[in-house]
Amino acid sequence: MTHVLVVEDDLITAREIDAALRDHGFDVTCSGNGRDALVQAIGETFDVIVLDRMLPGTLDGLGMLTALRAAGIATPVLILSALGELDERVRGLRVGGDDYLTKPFEFIELTARLDALLRRCVAQGPARDNRLRVGNLDIDLLRRSVRRGDRPIDLLPREYALLEYLAQHADQVVTRTMLFEAVWNYSYDERTNVIEVHMSRLRRKVDGEGEEQMIHTIRGAGYVLRSPA
Amino acid sequence: MSFVRLREIPRTISFRTALMSLALFGFSFLALFGYVYWQTAGYLAHQTDKALHRQIENRSRQPPEERLRELGEHAEQDAEQRTPHTLFDAQGRAIVGPIQSLPAFTGYDESNEFVWRRPNGHSRPIRFVIHPLEDGTTLLVAQDIHSIREFDELLVNALVSGGSLLLVAGLLGAALLGYSARRRLDTLSCSIERIIKGDLSNRLPTLGNGDDIDRIASVVNGMLDELERLMSEVKGVCDDIAHDLRTPLTRLLAGLERTQRHALSQEEYACAIEAAIAEAHGLLQTFRALLRITEIEDSARRSSFTQVDLGRIGADAAEFFEPLAEERGIALEFFPGSAPSHVAGDAQLLFDATCNLLDNAVKFSPDNARIQVTVIAEPGRIGLRVADNGPGIPEAEREAVFRRLYRSESSRHTAGNGLGLSMVAAVARLHDMILEVHDAQPGCRIDLIQARLG
Repeated sequence: MTHVLVVEDDLITAREIDAALRDHGFDVTCSGNGRDALVQAIGETFDVIVLDRMLPGTLDGLGMLTALRAAGIATPVLILSALGELDERVRGLRVGGDDYLTKPFEFIELTARLDALLRRCVAQGPARDNRLRVGNLDIDLLRRSVRRGDRPIDLLPREYALLEYLAQHADQVVTRTMLFEAVWNYSYDERTNVIEVHMSRLRRKVDGEGEEQMIHTIRGAGYVLRSPA
Repeated sequence: MSFVRLREIPRTISFRTALMSLALFGFSFLALFGYVYWQTAGYLAHQTDKALHRQIENRSRQPPEERLRELGEHAEQDAEQRTPHTLFDAQGRAIVGPIQSLPAFTGYDESNEFVWRRPNGHSRPIRFVIHPLEDGTTLLVAQDIHSIREFDELLVNALVSGGSLLLVAGLLGAALLGYSARRRLDTLSCSIERIIKGDLSNRLPTLGNGDDIDRIASVVNGMLDELERLMSEVKGVCDDIAHDLRTPLTRLLAGLERTQRHALSQEEYACAIEAAIAEAHGLLQTFRALLRITEIEDSARRSSFTQVDLGRIGADAAEFFEPLAEERGIALEFFPGSAPSHVAGDAQLLFDATCNLLDNAVKFSPDNARIQVTVIAEPGRIGLRVADNGPGIPEAEREAVFRRLYRSESSRHTAGNGLGLSMVAAVARLHDMILEVHDAQPGCRIDLIQARLG
């Protein structure tokens, strides 16, 4: 079972995160300050750490993260913060964070990002094949061409990038924010409805007439690419 | 008006500067006067010596008898003893002349001075030269230099009194300068204190003469203008927030209360919760947008500026919105500039700003309209233009649309929080760009332009 360390000083937020992650099937340990969290993170093995940027006491989130990385522990860390602007983000990622989520956030966004982080760590192992296969969907990463069964799918560059990202995270919820950041290389903004239009275009091409649906919309959250049952 | 304590005056810069110039002036005064004194005294002594040597020359050329006779006559004629020439014998006794004994001297034919006590008891300063004559006698030619001494003294007195006058006037001037500077600064600090206490409409007093303090005061006044503008803007925004957030909050509350009163089916609960969540999301989004504008306005962001290609930004934004436009049957066209269009900026913010403009254009244009994104790359100016042939913005509202939370009457029923154009305006300010709204006849044309030097 995936074991998550949640470092959050606000009790109610911590409880909500705890509940949401347990619902998602994670095992959760909570910690209220940077010092305890550091001891726990070094002493036990966690799969991923959710770290609040602002913590009481002498060791704040970034300080704890710096110390953790200095101790040679490479557990992926997702930073939570009310400080959302780009510079803060960059600072957080620079000291060793793997992802950054701005408060207030939706729990589906948090779990989706944690899934992506966990997946990324696994995927880093073996050398990547230059083909991606999800069900009967076949993506050639070198030629950037896509086929579904025998039917070639003609995609615009941006649509291809969307599909590649979805395929890399197949069977995982991918939020609009994640898509926007990965495909457009700009950081999150509220223009989710525009992404919906891009996605519906992509869907029309991928899920043709009479074919089983592969791109599913998760209401209020994002999308998931699943192989047809 | 505030009272200036005397002991504070010496601490003022004006007083110290005045004191310094006084010292400098005093030093040059002393040097000049000393030089004049030295020159004058030297000249007078030289003239006296010349006369004495002439006398010796004349006398030594005379035969001894004639010399003796003439000296005797001279002693009788010179009753005031201005030139008490005296002839001494080989033993140093006076033969003829008023001086009784040879005064101490350094050498023959050299000028010496001594104080001569006259038989009547008066002392006179005498300059003299002693010359040995061929007949064994010694000739002393002398000149009373009392008047020269008096002249010298006069000079020194003038120096001392003039100097003291200078010192007193200078000190007084310095104190006066220090006092006035102190008083001026006190008025300034008084005004500043009033401003600190919250009277932001107060300004520092200026004399209008453009001096150093005036210049600082006008700079500070400029800063205060900006501060006052910001404060009033903040107040305006607070009022707007209070007003604009109350509406969705009221809706949220009303919905929840209605559900509480008429608890019906599971489905209706789910519906109510969904509606509440949507309202809360809207609220959060408004807050986020407000915070974002605030963060953009912090010009510290300029430190992370890089070279950004506006052509790339325009192309990205147009490509991003293309499917949305297509869905509405709107033709979205992108025209890259003819020249490279790089500016120092924040790509993320410029992209967001362009997206906001496009978002508005798509939102307010009718179906089957045309939207054009153009990169402006002309000599002297560079920027992005978003034009549509929709309803446009009435002339009267072109300033107001950039205000936070402003919604024109015609847009109240469309989705949005009235922050999109404020965000664009903030990005423009951060990039030293000008944001212009034009009439595209029909439609709206918004230019985001940076003037280019050279």
